[in-house]
Amino acid sequence: MFRSEALLGVPIQFRGSIQRETLDNIVSTSGSADFEQLALPLLPSLYNHAFWLTRNHAEAEDLVQETFSKALRAFDSFQADTNFKGWIFRILRNTFFTSRTGIAESRTVFLEDHPHALDTTDTSPTPEDQLIRLDKQAALQRALEQLEPALREALLLCDVEEVKYRDIALILDVPIGTAMSRISRARRALRQLLQRQLGESQ
Amino acid sequence: MTQAIEHLTSDTLSAFIDGEVPDGEQEANQQHLAGCYACALRALSAVELKAATARTGRCFAPPPETLARLTAQIHREPWGSARIHSIGRIAWSSLAAAMILAVSLLGWRQLHETNTIAAELLDQHLATLSSAATPQVISTDRHTVKPWFQGRLPFSFNLLDAQALPPGTTLKGADLSYLNGQPAALLLFTIHKHEVSVFLTQRFGGPSLTALPGTRSGFTIHSATTQDLSIVAVSDVNPADLDALLAALVHAQSPF
Repeated sequence: MFRSEALLGVPIQFRGSIQRETLDNIVSTSGSADFEQLALPLLPSLYNHAFWLTRNHAEAEDLVQETFSKALRAFDSFQADTNFKGWIFRILRNTFFTSRTGIAESRTVFLEDHPHALDTTDTSPTPEDQLIRLDKQAALQRALEQLEPALREALLLCDVEEVKYRDIALILDVPIGTAMSRISRARRALRQLLQRQLGESQ
Repeated sequence: MTQAIEHLTSDTLSAFIDGEVPDGEQEANQQHLAGCYACALRALSAVELKAATARTGRCFAPPPETLARLTAQIHREPWGSARIHSIGRIAWSSLAAAMILAVSLLGWRQLHETNTIAAELLDQHLATLSSAATPQVISTDRHTVKPWFQGRLPFSFNLLDAQALPPGTTLKGADLSYLNGQPAALLLFTIHKHEVSVFLTQRFGGPSLTALPGTRSGFTIHSATTQDLSIVAVSDVNPADLDALLAALVHAQSPF
């Protein structure tokens, strides 16, 4: 188990979990060379996720840079056979929520415990209606941008970063059921946004 | 007595396509999908949406300068005493000095960068020559190799049918690779008995392949660009044969 309370005063715990096809994310020995080996391949992913959080190239760069600094300082407490990707993504997220942009965003209350307040329930479309032409990448990008940030974050971790639900829950600091629910809601909301967009364009 | 059909809930369907349904429930879900047209269609649609989200969500690549700065940070950050800088502050306070320095170092940096990329290309090519190196996907069929990259790369590309490849050229397989920190498709070909590594990266946001040396340690390194892609090939084969393969791959990206 990994435990570090040095990062932002937030206890972080990761149990030994090898996520799908990420054996390269497993630490064999500790040291700065290992950190390089683990962190460098994740740089594009961290930057991409940082950009989705900050929506700004300069802030995304600052965020990744600060994440690396914090991760390096805490790396001696990082133990073998733990999930490096989940660990560093959680540092990224915690760092974002202490930044000016992140603090502003965290003031937005996400109605997690009030699902009825979210208009993402099925509206009983026919099965054929469920099939959406997804060759319009620009439409999907617009829909992703319009998605509630908390839902988008969970969905990107799942679909883009291929992180398991268990690790998404640890990164987002929510119960696994909440992570699962957010991903499902994100997909329903995304589908509705796409149907609205594609319907308007016809 | 008839039993009302209970369709899979959205949460269950979502977990199903993510491979997150508990083992005990997986079989029941599969049985339901096998007999329920509506849920099977929903599952298909959900898989398509997931794949499209994976492609679209990975759309923000760090600019080359940012990538270089962040990579350098990892290399140089003192172990156990990392410092936190604000790029913004540094940029403003040293803008004038940086501009002068940038102009004077531009030529040197480009040369240094391309040499580094050439070394990386050659290292990766030599690694594929090892008898122990097995491609992640082994196939001569483009319809197997290209789909394998779906969800693994933030871009797509076209491949040629076997008969459309230059004479004596065969597709062997492919690997997911990284070039200068950017995800890349590494296609493995043989031309006669010579091994060829072809790297495909995004042109914008990817490594600059201009001014690459034409040869390194006896191996030919030739590159080409399309509207969206940078393509670079490494081999000890006759350079003309290598160029023929490059030209065919470039043509395949915009066949019309």
